[in-house]
Amino acid sequence: MRLPNTEVTFLGAKAMAASRLSRGELINGWLFMAPAIVLVGIFLIFPILWSLWMSFQVGRGMNFTFGGFANIVRLTQDPVFQRALGNTILFFVVQVPIMLTLAALMAVALNDPSLRFRGLFRTAIFLPCVASLVAYSALFKSMFADAGLINNALLSLGLISEPIYWIRDPFWAKVLIITAITWRWTGYNMIFYLAALQNVDRSMYEAARIDGVPAWARFVYITIPMLKPVILFTSVTSTIGTLQLFDEVVNITEGGPADATLTLSLYIYNLTFRFMPNFGYAATVSYVIVVAVAILSLAQFYIARDRRKS
Amino acid sequence: MTRMSLGRGLTYLALSLVSFISVFPFFWMIIGATNTSADVNLGKMSFGTALFDNIAHFFSLFDVPRVLLNTAGIAVAGTALTLLVCSLAGYAFEVFRTRYSERLFALFLLMLSIPFSALMIPLFIMISRAGLINTFAGVILPGIASIFIIFYFRQATKAFPHELRDAARIDGLKEWQIFLYVYMPVMRSTYAAATIIVFMANWNNYLWPLIVLQSNDNMVITLIVSSMRSGYNPQQGAIMVATIIATLPTVIIFFLLQRRFVEGMLGAVK
Amino acid sequence: MNRMSKGLKRSLAVALAGVSMFSVTAASAVEVTVWCWSPEFNGAAMAAAAEAYSKINPDVTINVVDFDKGALEQKLQTQLAAGITDDLPDIVLIEDYGAQKYLQSFPGAFEALNGVVDYSQFAPYKVELASVGDQTYSLPFDSGLTVLYYRPDILEEAGYSREDLTGITWERYIEIGKDVEAKTGHKMTSQDVADPGIIRMMLQSAGSWYFTPEGEPNFVGNPVFKAAMTTFQNYLQSDIYKPTSGWNDYTGAFIGGEVASVNSAAWMVGGIKGNPDLSGKWGVVPLPALTGVDGATNYSNWGGSSWYVIATSPEEEKAAAIDFLTKVWGGDVDFYQKILVGQGAVGSWLPAREGEAYSSSDEFFAGQPIWADFSTWLGQIPGVNYGLFTNEADDAVRAQLPALADGANVDEVIAAIDAQVRQQIQ
Repeated sequence: MRLPNTEVTFLGAKAMAASRLSRGELINGWLFMAPAIVLVGIFLIFPILWSLWMSFQVGRGMNFTFGGFANIVRLTQDPVFQRALGNTILFFVVQVPIMLTLAALMAVALNDPSLRFRGLFRTAIFLPCVASLVAYSALFKSMFADAGLINNALLSLGLISEPIYWIRDPFWAKVLIITAITWRWTGYNMIFYLAALQNVDRSMYEAARIDGVPAWARFVYITIPMLKPVILFTSVTSTIGTLQLFDEVVNITEGGPADATLTLSLYIYNLTFRFMPNFGYAATVSYVIVVAVAILSLAQFYIARDRRKS
Repeated sequence: MTRMSLGRGLTYLALSLVSFISVFPFFWMIIGATNTSADVNLGKMSFGTALFDNIAHFFSLFDVPRVLLNTAGIAVAGTALTLLVCSLAGYAFEVFRTRYSERLFALFLLMLSIPFSALMIPLFIMISRAGLINTFAGVILPGIASIFIIFYFRQATKAFPHELRDAARIDGLKEWQIFLYVYMPVMRSTYAAATIIVFMANWNNYLWPLIVLQSNDNMVITLIVSSMRSGYNPQQGAIMVATIIATLPTVIIFFLLQRRFVEGMLGAVK
Repeated sequence: MNRMSKGLKRSLAVALAGVSMFSVTAASAVEVTVWCWSPEFNGAAMAAAAEAYSKINPDVTINVVDFDKGALEQKLQTQLAAGITDDLPDIVLIEDYGAQKYLQSFPGAFEALNGVVDYSQFAPYKVELASVGDQTYSLPFDSGLTVLYYRPDILEEAGYSREDLTGITWERYIEIGKDVEAKTGHKMTSQDVADPGIIRMMLQSAGSWYFTPEGEPNFVGNPVFKAAMTTFQNYLQSDIYKPTSGWNDYTGAFIGGEVASVNSAAWMVGGIKGNPDLSGKWGVVPLPALTGVDGATNYSNWGGSSWYVIATSPEEEKAAAIDFLTKVWGGDVDFYQKILVGQGAVGSWLPAREGEAYSSSDEFFAGQPIWADFSTWLGQIPGVNYGLFTNEADDAVRAQLPALADGANVDEVIAAIDAQVRQQIQ
């Protein structure tokens, strides 16, 4: 199977080795980056270093003393932290693959120019992520109530014999949160895939179709490789989004029942704003997220790296 | 051919189902806006008669037009600046790569993972020392250089044919001209998607405006909607009205910009 | 003591009046900013107070800003923690459970009002919770007096009169609940199974709390806590309630008329009146009491909040804020009638009960003079010190509720709560 052009656009970029940039290009490059670098330096790097310094402080309210690794030791003894970490990892492992697969499938379906009502479907599927948190959480609470719409529907279809306690059962509460995030963010990720598909040369599909390549093979061998940069992008950002999961759990289950949906971000929030403020310890917990994301992102970059190079 | 149309039928069925699930909450929101607070709490699923009472209640609590104007101002200015700064950087990180810029970019990506709540207190102190508390600039500035959007533009730039750039340079265009006259028009569907995402993020931003904005005159829509939710007996019907008003602009932006994708598609078919 | 503080108050007021007269000529109007967290409830009450004050002192503008409650706490905590107080308001509303956390985490941030407020005129428990040492910081606002709201029509059908519900114990309440369901088909109440609110009510009703007055965890070896946990376990296992999840679900069940009663706070009147179909079909009696512990009463508190003055506000604004609070919130009987009728806000300033609205009977509650009853009961709520870690303790209790409902050994549950709280507050 021929893959016209892709080699050039995707791998060709790699061929443009750094050393080949002229002096003028170098200057232009840094000038183009300058506004972003300055702003990131002021509004991100500086506060991050500040919070790193805080993570070595112990004490509450405004009374800090240097505690060395005291906060890290505390992490290892904190059952609430361990529950939050376990939940967060579970949400990540289960939810991200489901959502990204769904988003890619829908993007491909909607990218077919012969499909009717494309605009309508696209808008409908995108809508959840513009929904305000208020409406969204109120809705999920009401739909998944003991005698809510979902239970009524499942009961009348004969799929279950007694209602599922979505919000107050520890297992089903987790299922509910995963359902809710998937509902809200699938359309969002789909937009990135759709936009990426626009930049793809359609003639390649035509050629493959004429050659008799079946649809699934076109998806696996053409679409996925071409979407690779965007797949990497969405998987890294979804990883970060899931590890920072906060809005859904605070609004739908409040981290309950019995901490079954407590996430690291919610715990940080509690430590900072609900509990007697302990900024040092909160900063330490947030660096756990940083380390986790760093490891997972590296793994994703590694998996998505170019294997065809050799 | 029957296999083909069967597949097509399944696609339509699946898309319709997903669309229904996606849209249903909005339908429910509209129903809620027409019902009294007690009926909303009871989960009433039919239209009521309290719509005008709810609207009147919402408008009596806040200076709604002013709040919408504030929110729109922040969202439009923030979106324009973010797109400019981040697309420039994303383009440059991909096209003008050096060993140092690659390292810097890796560092940037790492920072994407810091939860905002960990940065809020240092950021607040900085903005406050700069005298930007209760100003729109204070709300907009920290969000302009979004690593997320830089990363997005960089990934999208990988699909930007570098032959185009080479041709433009042979024609004697300067780098900024290439960016402005070649890159931006070619990447319009990327810009359209980014606009939707950034506008939405700015419009729905809650945590940071909450910290920065202080007076009633400077409130944004998310703050007033959330202030209606607390208290012992929130007025659910009026909250639904507020939510609809808060959601509408992002839906409109999406409707307007999604045509960009369609254009891109038609162009590809020709 | 009282006379002295009154005298002080008066002289301050006179001085302030003088100041404000000068400021008219100087044309520098003072603006006092207030943060609160419900435009329909405390925000509206504050706006009414601002209106009342504009007649006393037209030169001061009261600027009321509403936030979400969680949002306000976040904003306040961020700014106090950052040590930057320039942008804080002059007056802020704080929920009573969190008061000690703010007062003790941020010493010097709030103004002690002992010199200007006559605290003997406020419900004692509200004063106690806002005191650190011999200093008191709040202008006490709404009361979270807990009561048993019930539906006379349903209970009479099951054969229970008002007397049968008055001054009962939780055991009796559960018994009646079972009987009511058998006879009428209505559940006795609705219960959010993840909410430990009733445990807090039980503790305070017997003058106890999660922590000792010295701030030590008060779980293991606290007879009141054990009684509360045992009673709550019986209650959870009794099947007399409709299990709900979340606030709207919980309130919807009784507001809509599905269940026969609810143990809730005075501020719930507004919600109950939200359903006009049930007008005339509600009654109120005191809360059930714990059994087998010393000091058990039928009176307790749930929620409630108070106004605090930020100590670092500019002197002129701070003086105006204090004058405003003492004159209106601590001195205007008519104003309290207005917010009682308008917002259903039961203040904790005791002289307000002399007003007309407080003695009027309420048609929604079948002619019962509920406000007069509320203000009588209000004075009998045992005072406790909520301490610094109410949220931490609440979360630890909440984490054990499923085990409790499943019939776990109460002593083991208490030990687990104790362990988590000790870990969290280190």
